[in-house]
Order: sequence, then structure tokens, then C-alpha cells
Amino acid sequence: MSAGVLTASAMSLSRNDASRRFCHVEDTSALEDLRSEVLGTLKGEHWDRPWRVYDLDGMSLVEVTHLVERGLMTPTFAEETGEGRGFAVYGNNQASLEINGVDHFNLIGFREGDRLEALWSLLSLLDDRLESAVTYAFDPRWGYLTAYPAKAGTGLRAYATLHVPALMLTGKLAATALELVGHGLGLAPLWGGAGGVVQISNAARQTGPETELVAEVDNMARAISEKERSVRKMLMREHPVQAKDQIGRAIGVAQHAWSMSFQESVNLISAAHVGVEQGLVECPALSAESAFSLMGRLQPAHIVMDHMEAKTDVLESPEIDEIRARVMREVFAGSRVR
Amino acid sequence: MFAEDSPDWNLDLNGSADCELCGEEPATMHLLRVVDGSISHTHLCATCAEQMAGEQTEGLALVLAVPSMLRGFGKKGSPDQREATGGSTGNHEESFCGSCGTTLTDLKESGVVGCANCYRVFADHLESTIRREAEPMEHLGKVPLRGPEIDSLRHEMMRLERMLRELVEHERFEEAAGVRDRLAELGHSLDGGEG
Repeated sequence: MSAGVLTASAMSLSRNDASRRFCHVEDTSALEDLRSEVLGTLKGEHWDRPWRVYDLDGMSLVEVTHLVERGLMTPTFAEETGEGRGFAVYGNNQASLEINGVDHFNLIGFREGDRLEALWSLLSLLDDRLESAVTYAFDPRWGYLTAYPAKAGTGLRAYATLHVPALMLTGKLAATALELVGHGLGLAPLWGGAGGVVQISNAARQTGPETELVAEVDNMARAISEKERSVRKMLMREHPVQAKDQIGRAIGVAQHAWSMSFQESVNLISAAHVGVEQGLVECPALSAESAFSLMGRLQPAHIVMDHMEAKTDVLESPEIDEIRARVMREVFAGSRVR
Repeated sequence: MFAEDSPDWNLDLNGSADCELCGEEPATMHLLRVVDGSISHTHLCATCAEQMAGEQTEGLALVLAVPSMLRGFGKKGSPDQREATGGSTGNHEESFCGSCGTTLTDLKESGVVGCANCYRVFADHLESTIRREAEPMEHLGKVPLRGPEIDSLRHEMMRLERMLRELVEHERFEEAAGVRDRLAELGHSLDGGEG
């Protein structure tokens, strides 16, 4: 399995049309016209891969949440209800486009692993192609304009998702977050802090160049990863009984529970992942699949789509918790604590 | 997937602008704690935030997010802003964007602008509230493939188109004819620029 602390990369690139007012004040008809124009452009032949357009009005809560869980849609866009909204996914889920959310356009991309540079290359290319249909609102001093002047600039936000249970457990994450603030970066828990999974990103207004912003997030993610590895070793060295107890209990619950919340499953996988990395646990299934990927497919909408044939439109139910526990038992069936 | 934005990245305009611990210094840090799945938010000054971070020795999570650059837009504003507003004339307060109708008062209350043209109309206010002393103000990143000159032409055309609609609605046809002619001229310039 990957022993990486940096588990995933994500990016968003926001733009606005110069000839229309920003979404929160623009007329519905103008937003709908803009959506039609852009969706028409997405059907053109000047893209390397095809776009798949979604009908947001016809989608269930589970289907929308499934897109959010896969990193194809931002939570903010999923929760909005404004008029004229549109959504499309590029190629084989390489990127997606939110239309008329907070901004007229928000290109987003998500990948497992350390892929920020690759994401910027792709989003910048798609940005250039999209510009064939739209004149972007831009000012040489402010950069790309948005309804929130404090965010005008590159429109770029780069995210690195990190698995840092040891930093979180020892309370060292606070000092790390303070250090990030000094670099203009922010830190937020991904799943309510479960499993020590957090996301760092550049915050507020950024004037660029984009490659430097991406490198800064990347470098900081690597520095935090190193710190997490060293704290894990310190815990094993100075508190071996407590560390082994927590990891051993996690494997026991994962192998024998019959009902499990998403948060609990993430906490258990997190402990098991550290156990495997430290040589305390043998887990064949986690050699074939990353811990982060396993966490991803235990999210509520994933369970409903993958195991219940999307036959329910609720995201919290005893049946979902039972299925999650069953998947956990199957994954950890061959595991052994040394 | 993307983490939910912390309140600092939303416009938390109703939040306290003073440190919730000492109550004396302005709150420039956001403290977010996750303990047993429950999340709490506290706004603190840098000194109190550092102190709390030092005291945190165990627990599931303690996260300090970014200082809010947006708080400058809050209703309370900075002392400098309050002074500037107090010293300004009534006419200054009434300035508005001809393209989208946003007024300076709207901007001060909400922190948001309505269109690209607002950045020119409210340039003084925006530059005084969004200070970036440590960084260059100028955008150093990517620029659109189409140049800013064409961009500004489109802005002007957008403004004139709205003006034309309003003049026709009010049956001020002579003035409307002048605006229409100006639009036609700009249209030719745009075609020439793009060609």
C-alpha cells in the first residue's frame, strides 16, 4: 500500500463573463442564456475529450452527493439552488465545470496522490478553450474579477489532502496550522476531522503566478507529511503500548462490527493504515487499495450507488451502516496484528 | 473531494470583530476545534491564538485557519475605514455602478460587487479595504487570451446597452439615439480589434 501522507490533490479555477453581471444580481434569463452558450461550446469539437452534461433539476440528492464525494462537484455548488445553474464532467472524470454557482464558471479537478502540477496543466488548458466562447472579466491590476473583491486575482485554489492522525492526536496540528497562516494558507478538516484527514489550501486573494501558488501548497504538504511521519515514529518509540492497543482495537472492531457510521470507519481505517505502515499489521486488502480510496467508497452516497442500486434517496439509514460494516469486515478479513 | 469552507472564507459579516478571549485586540485568527465529532468556532487575536495553540496537548483536533482578509468589509470596519466614511460627503456615499446598480452603501454592507464595472466605480474603496502590504497589488498570474483593451470595450458596451434600454423605456429618444450611435462605433472598434 502507499505509505503516503499526501493522499489527494484538488484544484478549482473560477472565472466570470465580462458581459454579464455576477450571478447573485444577474437576471435568470441572462444566466440561462450564458449556460446555453457554454453548454453549446462544450459540445464542440475543439476539446480533446468529450464533456458529459448533467441535468441538475432531474438529479436526486444521492446522485448530487455522489458527485461531491468523488471530488467532481464542490459542496458549495451542491447546496446552492440558484437559477441557470449547469454542470458538466470532462472526459473520464478528469475535470468538471460548474456553471452559474458563486461565479459564472468554476473549473475543478481532483486526483488521488500528489498531482497538483498535472491538475494545473489540465485546468489551464480547459480554461483557454472555454475562453473561445466567453470574454472573461479581467483587470490587469486585480486579475480575474469576481463578486468577492477579496478573492479577485488568479481565481485559483489548490488543495492538498493529508492524512495526519499522529499530528492530530498529539495536538501538534495547531502549531502546523499557525505556520500555514504565515504562508497565506489555510487548513480545514475534510470529514469533520475523522481519521486525521485534513485539507490545506491557499486562501483569500492570490495574485499569482499560479505555478508558484501550486508549488507553495505542494511544498507545505510535503513538509507536513515529513512532520507526520516523524511524530508517528515518536509515538511508536515513546508510547508503544498505547499505540499498539489503539491499532489492535481498530482491527478488532473492523473485523467484527455489524453496524458502522462513516466517521467510525474512517477512524478505524486511519489507525489500520498507520499500523500497516509501522509494520504492526498485515492487511492484504490495503496493499491492493489505498486507505484513502477505501475511505472514499464508504461515504454514504457511494454505499447507496454501489451496493443499493441507488434505490433510496436517504444518506443516513441503519441499512447503510450495516452495509458499511460488511464491507469493512470483508476488507479486513485477512488482516492480522503482529 | 473538497472540504467545506471555514466561515472565514465565507462573508461572516455578523461575527465579532474583537477577540473572544481577551476582548481587547481585533480578532484576526479563526480557531476551529473538532472534539468527538462536534465542531466549534472561535475568533481570536494572534496572541491569544498562539497561547491556546501552545496549551493544546491532547484531544482529537485543534485547527487554526486563516486570518480573515474579508473582515475589512464588515459592518464595523477598521478604524481607518470608519474615519474615512465619517469624513466623507453624502455625495460620496451615493456613488453607484451604472452597469448593475450596486451602490457604495450596498458594497459596504455586503462586501460584494455586482459586476466587473464595479471594480472601476468603487476602485478607491476597494483598494483602501483590501490592503496587501506584504504582496504586490498587481496581478502577476495568467491573463486572458483576449487582451484587456477588448475587455474594457465590452464593459463600456454593456453599460451603454443598459443605458439605452432605460432611455427607451422613459421615451427619451433623442438621448437614446446618441447612445445607439456610440454603441455602433464601439461595435466597429471591437470587430476591428478581434479581427
